[in-house]
Amino acid sequence: MQQSVFARQGTRLALPISIVLILLVGALLSDKFLTLRNLTNVLINMSIVGIIVVGMTFVFVTRGLADLSVPATVAVGGLLVLGLQSSLGTLGAAVVGVLAAAIAGAVNGWLVGYAGLNPVITTLASGTIVLGIAQVFVGGVIVYGDDPQAQDFLTGRVFGVVPVIVLIFIAVVAMGHLLLSRTVLGRWSYAVGSNPFATQASAVPVRRVRAIVFLLTGTLAGFSGVLLGVTLQTARPGIGMGYEFDAITAVVVGGVSLLGGSGTVLRAIGGLLFVQLLTNIMVLQGVPTEPQGIVKGVLIAGAVAIDVALRRRGGRE
Amino acid sequence: MTETAVLRMTGISKSFPGIRALSAVDFDVEAGEVHAVVGENGAGKSTLMKVLAGVYQPDDGTIELDGVAVRLSDPIEARRRGIGMVYQELNLVPDLTVAENILLGSTPSRFGLVDRRALREQARAVLDELDARIHTDDLVGSLTVSQQQIVEIAKVYAARPRIVVLDEPTSSLSEHETQSLFRIIGRMTEAGLAVIYISHRLREVLDISQRVTVLRDGRLVDTRPTSGITAAEMIRLMVGRDLTEVFPKREVEIGEVALSVTGLSRAGEFDDISLTVRSGEILGLAGLVGAGRTEVARAIFGLDNRDAGLIEIDGTVVNIRGPRDAVRAGIAYVPEDRKRDGIVPQLSIKDNISLAVLDRVSAAGWIRPNAERTLARQKADELTVTPPAITPRVDTLSGGNQQKVVFAKWLAAGPRVLILDEPTRGVDVGAKADIHTIIGELAARGTAIVLISSELPEVLAVSDRILVLHDGRISAELPRGASEQEVMHAATGEFVS
Amino acid sequence: MTSTRHILDSEVFHALVRNRVVVILVSTLVIGATLVPGFLEFRTASLGLDRMATLGLVAIGLTVVLIAGQLDLSGGAILALSGIATIGLQSQLGQIPAAIVGLAVGVAAGAVNGFLVVVLRINSLVATLASLLFFRALCHLITESRPISGIDPLFGLIVSRPIGGTFTGRTVLFFAMIVLLHLWLTRAVAGRQLFAVGSNPASAEASGIRSRAYLFGAFVFSGTMAGVAGVIQSLSVNTGSPVFGERIVLVAIAAVVIGGTRLEGGRGSALGTLGGLLTIAALTTAMEYQSVPAYLQDIVTGVILLLLILLDRTVSSSQRRDVTLAALWRRAWASRQLKENERTNAP
Repeated sequence: MQQSVFARQGTRLALPISIVLILLVGALLSDKFLTLRNLTNVLINMSIVGIIVVGMTFVFVTRGLADLSVPATVAVGGLLVLGLQSSLGTLGAAVVGVLAAAIAGAVNGWLVGYAGLNPVITTLASGTIVLGIAQVFVGGVIVYGDDPQAQDFLTGRVFGVVPVIVLIFIAVVAMGHLLLSRTVLGRWSYAVGSNPFATQASAVPVRRVRAIVFLLTGTLAGFSGVLLGVTLQTARPGIGMGYEFDAITAVVVGGVSLLGGSGTVLRAIGGLLFVQLLTNIMVLQGVPTEPQGIVKGVLIAGAVAIDVALRRRGGRE
Repeated sequence: MTETAVLRMTGISKSFPGIRALSAVDFDVEAGEVHAVVGENGAGKSTLMKVLAGVYQPDDGTIELDGVAVRLSDPIEARRRGIGMVYQELNLVPDLTVAENILLGSTPSRFGLVDRRALREQARAVLDELDARIHTDDLVGSLTVSQQQIVEIAKVYAARPRIVVLDEPTSSLSEHETQSLFRIIGRMTEAGLAVIYISHRLREVLDISQRVTVLRDGRLVDTRPTSGITAAEMIRLMVGRDLTEVFPKREVEIGEVALSVTGLSRAGEFDDISLTVRSGEILGLAGLVGAGRTEVARAIFGLDNRDAGLIEIDGTVVNIRGPRDAVRAGIAYVPEDRKRDGIVPQLSIKDNISLAVLDRVSAAGWIRPNAERTLARQKADELTVTPPAITPRVDTLSGGNQQKVVFAKWLAAGPRVLILDEPTRGVDVGAKADIHTIIGELAARGTAIVLISSELPEVLAVSDRILVLHDGRISAELPRGASEQEVMHAATGEFVS
Repeated sequence: MTSTRHILDSEVFHALVRNRVVVILVSTLVIGATLVPGFLEFRTASLGLDRMATLGLVAIGLTVVLIAGQLDLSGGAILALSGIATIGLQSQLGQIPAAIVGLAVGVAAGAVNGFLVVVLRINSLVATLASLLFFRALCHLITESRPISGIDPLFGLIVSRPIGGTFTGRTVLFFAMIVLLHLWLTRAVAGRQLFAVGSNPASAEASGIRSRAYLFGAFVFSGTMAGVAGVIQSLSVNTGSPVFGERIVLVAIAAVVIGGTRLEGGRGSALGTLGGLLTIAALTTAMEYQSVPAYLQDIVTGVILLLLILLDRTVSSSQRRDVTLAALWRRAWASRQLKENERTNAP
């Protein structure tokens, strides 16, 4: 039951080709597109979501369906880093923020991995709970930061060109990619997503793997929330809204299958890049923000439909 | 009884890639008759029934109903033609009532609303015809397995079939429940239905059927009136074959006890299983499907729980709570269901081979690619996996090669005890020979081997000792050189003096 | 450990879990009555129910989808979109025609979901996530992210004014729908067949039931209900806003799960959903009285939902005896009448 070579190669190359195409289209439509300044802006916008995308990729690969608690963990990171800044300093507050998000991720992990609950409903519910707790903590209002130095640090540039935040993003992507492609945990993730029974029978700790990916996603989302908070020096509970959708869109467009067992971090980031470039083109063309959401919705549906169709033609369900 | 048969299948053949499942099988059933079909695993019983059910299309041969040739293009067509199938896995909706399940799809209604009285009455009528004492308004999910089975039969019966096929109907039933089932079968035949009864339980076959058909290796061996056959004779027909594939057995020095199992039990599956296997010894585990062999193996390996039992490796007690403990203790298990428990389809050959031993080819969690490649290549070569490359995805391989990959995975673990569950099922002759060679080599190196196999020639040729399981218990321990008949007798619980 | 096992396997426990909505509802009412003076008064009840009506309509649609074994996350977005259509088209079409268009939007949105899941065979989670994005973005696009106002605030009183001093229009509508759903699920052939589809679609097909048609219909229904809720909501506040309905799906799922509908499909009931909704309404009323802020209420909802699905997981689903209320009642009645010969033999 082999997929035709063409179909297989086709899926692999579709993304890079699409990115090239869109770069061309963008350049044609606007002369501001291919400038360093513009592309750097794209990268900056990508950075926060990109960190979350890394985690979401793991969730997809293990067939964990999705982590919908991302808005909450992002908010936790942002609210705590600014809320505790005066008492712990930015760095200390950042650590606490990431830790809190990690705990939320661990709870998700336990519920989904060990208790075997449906990941969608569980993360939806836990996200609501976590967000509520975070709001209790800061009294439900907007939190303001007071550390312009940290802000400058993150938004500043190395060698005058590359923004620090982008460097952090790239570092996380690199680590995530290596984790998924070169480590035992990464290999186990693919195995669990592809065939949990055989993987269990091969003495791999399936439940632990399933739990860890949610811990990872929670932590990364918290981290990106911290970065977001420091960059903006302001945070409100709704600060993370929409990031889960953006992350899922990126992963799906990147060709990482919802059914698990395949895909890489780089492909997911490629999907993110595609979406971001598309958005950028629309912005440059003066298209208002709303239709962009429509495009994203269509993209998700389209990408998944193509994935399903290809798998079906290849003889696999 | 020479009326026109309700069903006549003539010259039915069916092949799948690499396997000839059925070769020119003839089969017929008459109205009011119970016709049993027996045979070992892989004999072709379920394939024949699937052809009848419209699931498979035969490559050759004809099917006639009441003397008229028909084409059963799909299960719905078969149902329409009056063929009712009762499978082992029941197709009921647990949250609907008994009556609703029986009449699912043909619920009596008035203006779109369920006509409850008619529903109850019709369901009651069906159940009464079968003399089944089940309340029509109970939820199916709350019934026992035996009762659910009766509901399933009633459901099939309600469609007024001409033929009803029962596939291993008594595997989860008690003695008492089996009698209830037989009563129901009696009612069906009184009503003129033709019943096809597939079972491993030869005693039941003798009880309930009028004729018996024996299949072997996809061929029809014989069809005889039940009154003119004994269990022993059935066994002889089921297993008698030329031992053309002789597997040369290496003489190996047998050492100390490697694996010792005492009093292994799990309620409803197996009871008080005790066995020992020595270094270099091959212990064959024989028995019919449902005897509990795979369940015992999985329990030893930690894939399933056990209620009681002690497991010792090299004299030391090991506490096995899961496969990881088992592997750490030196036990490996090549599973029966290759597709589900054996291979990870989207990973490469290399990744599959290294899956159980990643800690040995990694440092601090980082996989060492060269070490992994070397290990995988080595094992793949040892087992002559085709193609020789280790990068292709494992789901592109043939069944035999996939099995070799699973083998390779466990060889990589260098186990002390290797449990093989139907290792050559669905594997071509060439791969089979390779696997037997490997088994011999492993034994020579001192691995203790447990070999579960339904293929008697294989078990007899390869094992040093044979344990026969029957209904979850050890029914006999036979030495090398035992005959097939002896094994089958112990496996079916039929002891011939 | 064994004693826990005994408790978990006991028939009493099973009966409690199976009929948990009753248990939960009663406890909630007790807590509410203790914390809030005048809780059990008619006026409080009426207000609480009114507030719950919109949520209830969405939950009705969700119940059907869940029984069919699917998920629909887009209810909130469809609600907002329908509301925007209802209000935005008022000046052009008149109020009633605009409301009808709003309703039609819900139907169409449901059809889109149905198309994605049934025709394109996309997993319902992803499909409704995508459509959620899509519809929400459409809302923002049309309104330029600003709420829009209708032409006549008094028109909405139709739904929000107490009729004859008792229940509001939308409360009545909700109750009517719940009753209809209950009747459909328990008495209509199609309703019963829905359980088969959600439980085992393949064997339902084998019995001649067109599973795909049922699945499609379930999504259309869910979209329609969300549309109705959106029309009513926006009329009652004379506003169409792209941010309406943002948390509604979670609370609706919680209500449905409290009511005993399983996430895996094949089991559920309208009365259960009603019980779950009443519980939520009671909880919300009690919490509001205590001036509990919205985010804390969210925590409570989330925790309840999690605990319940955990409970569903832990309790073994193989019961020996039917412990639904109907069966318990029947057993109690029959044992009084000694109708032994009709009952299934005790195993």
